[in-house]
Amino acid sequence: MFRHILMLLFAGLYATGSLAGADKPQRVQDLQYGEVLFHFYQDDYFTAISHLLAAQAQSQLPHHQDEAELLLGGLQLSYGMLDEAEARFEKLLGPDTSLDLRNRAWFYLTKISYQHGLYENAAKAFKRVELSKHNKAMQAELAVLGANIYMAMGKDAAATEILDRTRAPEGWMEYLQINKGIAQLRAGDIKGGQATLDKLGREDVSDEELLALRDRANLALGYQLLREGDAEQARKYLNRVRLRGPFMQEALLGAGWADAERGDYEAALTPWLRLNKLGSKQPAALEVRLAVPYSFAQLGDRDRAIYFYEQAIEYYDTEQADIDQAIQAARSGALLELLAQADTHESGGWLHDAPALNDIPSGRYLVDVLSQHAFQENLKDYRDLGFLQALLERRLANIDLLHDMVDTRRLAYESRSPAIRKQLEQGQAQALQTRWKALDEKLARQQHSKDPLGLATGKEQQQLATLDKVDQTLRHLPDDHRWKSALQDKARWLRGILYWQIQADYPARLWEVRKQLQRLQQPVENLVAAHHAIERGLETVPDSFNGYDQRIEALRTRIQSLLPAIQEARHNAGQQIFRLAMKELGARRERLVSYRAQARYALARSYDQLAGQTGVEDSP
Amino acid sequence: MKSLLGVILAGLMAWPLMALAEKQPTGMQEDVQNLKKQVLELNRDLFLLEEELLFPSNTQVSVFLSMDVGTFFQLDSVTVKLDGKEVANYLYTPREIDALIRGGVQRIHIGNIKNGEHELVAFFTGKGPHGRDYRRGSTTTFKKGLGPKYVELQIVDATNNQQPEFSVKEW
Repeated sequence: MFRHILMLLFAGLYATGSLAGADKPQRVQDLQYGEVLFHFYQDDYFTAISHLLAAQAQSQLPHHQDEAELLLGGLQLSYGMLDEAEARFEKLLGPDTSLDLRNRAWFYLTKISYQHGLYENAAKAFKRVELSKHNKAMQAELAVLGANIYMAMGKDAAATEILDRTRAPEGWMEYLQINKGIAQLRAGDIKGGQATLDKLGREDVSDEELLALRDRANLALGYQLLREGDAEQARKYLNRVRLRGPFMQEALLGAGWADAERGDYEAALTPWLRLNKLGSKQPAALEVRLAVPYSFAQLGDRDRAIYFYEQAIEYYDTEQADIDQAIQAARSGALLELLAQADTHESGGWLHDAPALNDIPSGRYLVDVLSQHAFQENLKDYRDLGFLQALLERRLANIDLLHDMVDTRRLAYESRSPAIRKQLEQGQAQALQTRWKALDEKLARQQHSKDPLGLATGKEQQQLATLDKVDQTLRHLPDDHRWKSALQDKARWLRGILYWQIQADYPARLWEVRKQLQRLQQPVENLVAAHHAIERGLETVPDSFNGYDQRIEALRTRIQSLLPAIQEARHNAGQQIFRLAMKELGARRERLVSYRAQARYALARSYDQLAGQTGVEDSP
Repeated sequence: MKSLLGVILAGLMAWPLMALAEKQPTGMQEDVQNLKKQVLELNRDLFLLEEELLFPSNTQVSVFLSMDVGTFFQLDSVTVKLDGKEVANYLYTPREIDALIRGGVQRIHIGNIKNGEHELVAFFTGKGPHGRDYRRGSTTTFKKGLGPKYVELQIVDATNNQQPEFSVKEW
């Protein structure tokens, strides 16, 4: 019973631990990195890893290279790929990695070793982590992790010390405190543990998670004080546990024990009868079936003791029959039916909404068993494998669509390529380039000759031609013509002005022409390159279609070879769950048998005592 | 009865503090990890091939959405129109909003367009300052050249006027 209570107390204490360092708002410099974060923050690890791998393959994360590696390791860790994550973090411990990243890598390695149960390694890695003082959330998470490692190694005092020196930000203090209190109790520091848990147990909180944590603290302290023999104090703390909280049944049982320890069996009956009345199937409720008649017997009320012992036996008989039915149902496939409900085809959580087995007798036992913490790792794998199987089956069913896409492109190529070829054959790009080269050469000649008339504008050339005509006409006039001399002077003067203008503008014109030609050089080269690229493309595209076909077929082969392996692994995971479930149901059955035997023995003695009127105190 | 209590209580401190899940056989763990690795690599290769075939880089356009603190605007939905045609209309869950506020970036659309100028219009609806219904549009013109084009729709809190600001960034 107390095992169960402790599991409730400690399971999930670490569950709020985030992927440290990645939970603060980030400003992304590569959009694809932000996209990975978008999926990661929704706990969709499979999609996040897939996108991250694809982005890395396409070199799309130039600004987040190291962070991406750290994130990938963290995602793999969250997705249960411990070995891959470990190898990735170890790679990050090189001398080129920044101190911050190295520390975070050590942090994760600590976590992985702890999850592997390699506590010595975890403790060594833990000592290597040197976090910045500003990262309080990660420090708090590290402290809880460190404390858990040392407590697992039996070094409770060291665990207390770690938690003692850690300052926690909002939301972490309560977790630190409850761990510290437990570590103190385990280290034998009863007063210290009591003080820590007492303070936590009196916290004025409204948040449901913190209220549950407060209940845990009070329950842990109450049971510890019971163990120490301080029943009065134990009752005080057990009374603080909420009657509407998740630990109500354990608290009621403990409260009764505290009263019974002090010899106040009448008081013990109050919480025990209340628990008995709940009709719950929880372990605490099973035990209270024995405790109630025991109390009546201690109070000398033989009739009621007999009544409740008989009721307990009847109850245990019914429960035993239910468990037998559950075992039988599990053997005939009900468990697999229940597991099939795990196939949500999403890479997110399961069992948040309790699956139903309404049509299966004693189905609740199977649901209850699978909901236990001990099954979670196996169930997670079973479910993940189901997701992978469904994904690959979907991919396989759609793989021919990829061929269709290639065929569509092939058809498009075949219909469009003749026209493109024809256009290419006209060699427009090459003709343009030839023309440009000719102009370039002309410019070079111009620069060499330095003749300004070479850069005369069309209008100027026209004007020069007009002046030539004027000269010619004037030459035909008789020398004694009254205007000939004056007109020739004027024509010379105009030609001089025109030459002077062309000469004066020559440097600017030369510079402008050179600039224009240079501007054209790149576009013309691009055009020719594009032309060649299209030519090459036309030649290579048919090969690329074949390449796509080969890639698609290679992927099909990979899917086909992976699917049976996944099915087998899933089958094995299902078998493992089945074995564990059988073991658990068997243990529950044993417990019921034992309770039933105790109840029958106590009942027999009660009858004997009643018959013999001995008046001797009863004891089961 | 006291002896029973004693036995139960003795178990209290013997029980490991962090009751870990039932350990699987090592071989099975390795098998599952190995399968996950292979499927992820396979999925990556399929993803890359699909993108190559469906959205070749020369015609690919992707529209992303990012959001900072979200104090002055609680996003409900986004509609994206590209050259007058609606290409995305997305309604957000609280979980997605949280992921955006924490720094995640959502690819809201991926498609194909020709080289040249294009017009992108985005409509954002949600709750603005003082919980009032809020609907704003943002228009931009961008040029698609060689290689994939990335456009980011940004929702930013402007502290100076205590209003949300919607902008578009070309990458």
